[in-house]
Amino acid sequence: MRSLLLAVLAAYLIAAIHSILAFVNKRRSLQRVAEWSTAAGFVLHTGALIADWVIDGHYPLFFLRETLSFLAWALVAIYSLVLYRYRTQALGAFVMPLISVLTFVALIMGTNSLNDPTPFSATWLFPIHTTLFIFAYAFFFIVFVASVMYLLQERELKLKTFSAIFHRLPPLTTVNDLATSFASLGLTLLTLGIATGMIWSSTHYGHVWRNDPKEIFALLTWLLYFVLIIYRSSTTWRGRNAAWLGVVGFGLVLFTYLGTRLLGGYHVFG
Amino acid sequence: MSILLIGVNHKTAPVEIRERLAFNDEACANGLRELVDGVVVREGLIVSTCNRVEILGATATDQLEFSAGRVAEFLDTSGRLPAGFLEKHLYRHTDEQAVRHLFRVASSLDSMVVGEPQVLGQVRHAYSLAVEAGTAGRILNRLVHHTFRVAKRVRNETGIAASAVSISYMAVELGKKIFDSLKGCTVMLIGAGEMAELSARHLVNAGVSRVVIANRTEETARQIAEDFGATTVSLDQLDQFLSEPDVIICSTGAPDYVLTEERVRKALERRRNRPTCFIDISVPRNIDPAVSKVPNVFLFDIDDLESVISSNIREREREAERAELIVQSEVMQFQQKLRLMDVGPSIGALRQNMQEVARAELTRQRKRLGPLTKEQEEAIESLLMSTVNKISHPILNQMRRFYESNDADVDPKDPFGLEE
Repeated sequence: MRSLLLAVLAAYLIAAIHSILAFVNKRRSLQRVAEWSTAAGFVLHTGALIADWVIDGHYPLFFLRETLSFLAWALVAIYSLVLYRYRTQALGAFVMPLISVLTFVALIMGTNSLNDPTPFSATWLFPIHTTLFIFAYAFFFIVFVASVMYLLQERELKLKTFSAIFHRLPPLTTVNDLATSFASLGLTLLTLGIATGMIWSSTHYGHVWRNDPKEIFALLTWLLYFVLIIYRSSTTWRGRNAAWLGVVGFGLVLFTYLGTRLLGGYHVFG
Repeated sequence: MSILLIGVNHKTAPVEIRERLAFNDEACANGLRELVDGVVVREGLIVSTCNRVEILGATATDQLEFSAGRVAEFLDTSGRLPAGFLEKHLYRHTDEQAVRHLFRVASSLDSMVVGEPQVLGQVRHAYSLAVEAGTAGRILNRLVHHTFRVAKRVRNETGIAASAVSISYMAVELGKKIFDSLKGCTVMLIGAGEMAELSARHLVNAGVSRVVIANRTEETARQIAEDFGATTVSLDQLDQFLSEPDVIICSTGAPDYVLTEERVRKALERRRNRPTCFIDISVPRNIDPAVSKVPNVFLFDIDDLESVISSNIREREREAERAELIVQSEVMQFQQKLRLMDVGPSIGALRQNMQEVARAELTRQRKRLGPLTKEQEEAIESLLMSTVNKISHPILNQMRRFYESNDADVDPKDPFGLEE
């Protein structure tokens, strides 16, 4: 399935380059190219994931390589949602390069793991658990990008230093709304992800909670976004501080996703 | 056929001259009827705006010089200026240059403020006057329609008009950077100067639904309020209403700060910290610069606005470079189209062909004539040529007229007028 993934990577790269060019040049025609190649990449990527599933015989979300590819796919899906709902094309210049990198790493990374995915994919609960987590991470990444945009734009407006980027960022209220609603979507998925993990763990190991580093950090992440939602949902405009929380929260997400490998624990699969 | 463009603009002539040359609609129609005689100047159009007066014409290529003289003369007389007075102010473009100039004008690349949107409407108006006067023919029709296409492309594909370059429009631009939609926003004018009023008008056009006016003399406030369907409040009640507007434009003549940090902080608290854009266009300033320290307040004074404007102008200039490339490629496309339309060369070729047939016949029959003197030979040749030319002339002429105009008086059954 490498060649298919290679085609996916090519489509995402074209989309990334055109998104950046559209961001810099503000050309509608470039943006159209970016959107079409994103769509083409997404279709191919969906095909690649299904093919992986059929050929390898397990849900394609187990090894690190697979999670990266799956995460890229989830990000594309969510980015399309943003485009449809908020029309903030500027986001593409940030998201598409990351998606390309994720796809690239997934492509070059081999599977050298002693773990056997079969027992995990035997139950339907485990794939749901991992899928929920990946989508939650993807939502949090969009919250992160929107927060960074908010902070950049706010800074430019406050300091009145209107650099080139000023003309290219979406309005403050748009990115604020985007961050708010996507944080709550992410939190919902994260909650469900943790719950399904607990159920799965209790049926498999007999424990709901095992004090694994990944579990602890996931809980911390959950708490942080919970605070963020409570903070944002009050009728008072939070703007800047909420945006900072969105940035910090994503740092925690990154650590939960990748960093906890360093700490060991049974949650390390790939 | 050739295209000719002669005129003055803000770069070549001062306003004293431009105003004398300016044509109103009626003068424009009359002038066109006078200038376009169908022989020397075949088609014509007058673009007259406050920054330019230009005459665009189509003429036979061999009469280009003559036509140019006629147009310059026409400008002199219509401006009641001594002959030749305009010489040093006029620019004269022909063919490719003229096409490029028109494209640039309509795309607002030749304007005083690059990217201003009015000029395209003015060219459109000039064209409709020419159509009414019946002076826009085959060439100008194509040229003007192509021009509209170029202007549209420039507008869509470059950001030449994307950012504000006037103080009054800055409120809209800044508002759009903060609020995703100005619909549902409220704007407040503190002090009702002309500039504030103009800004408010732009904001209303951009979708702002509510305008509140606070002015020292309530009478003035009420007058302006009627225009907008706005509500008025007195300056004493200001604190009470200060929490409502999303955009506040301040332009009172007061000598010191009308809005202090304390006042704004309270207002923001009451509007639950929702972002607010303060624009202070008064000198001396009416809003304490310290207001800027309040979170979610974005304050701009007149200097800030000027600096955004100059950065926007630089942005427009960068975009204008891209627009020039579009114009360049469109000029080339149009020239190609024009060459396809131009029947001049093919008519010339037809005449030459006929002459060659006649010469070939002469050579074939030459032996039968026996020895002839040089004079006799020349007489035969000239007899042949003049017969060919005299026979073909009305036909070719009719052909030329048929192709060069969309005249309805050409009978489709007899396009060459042979039955007359």
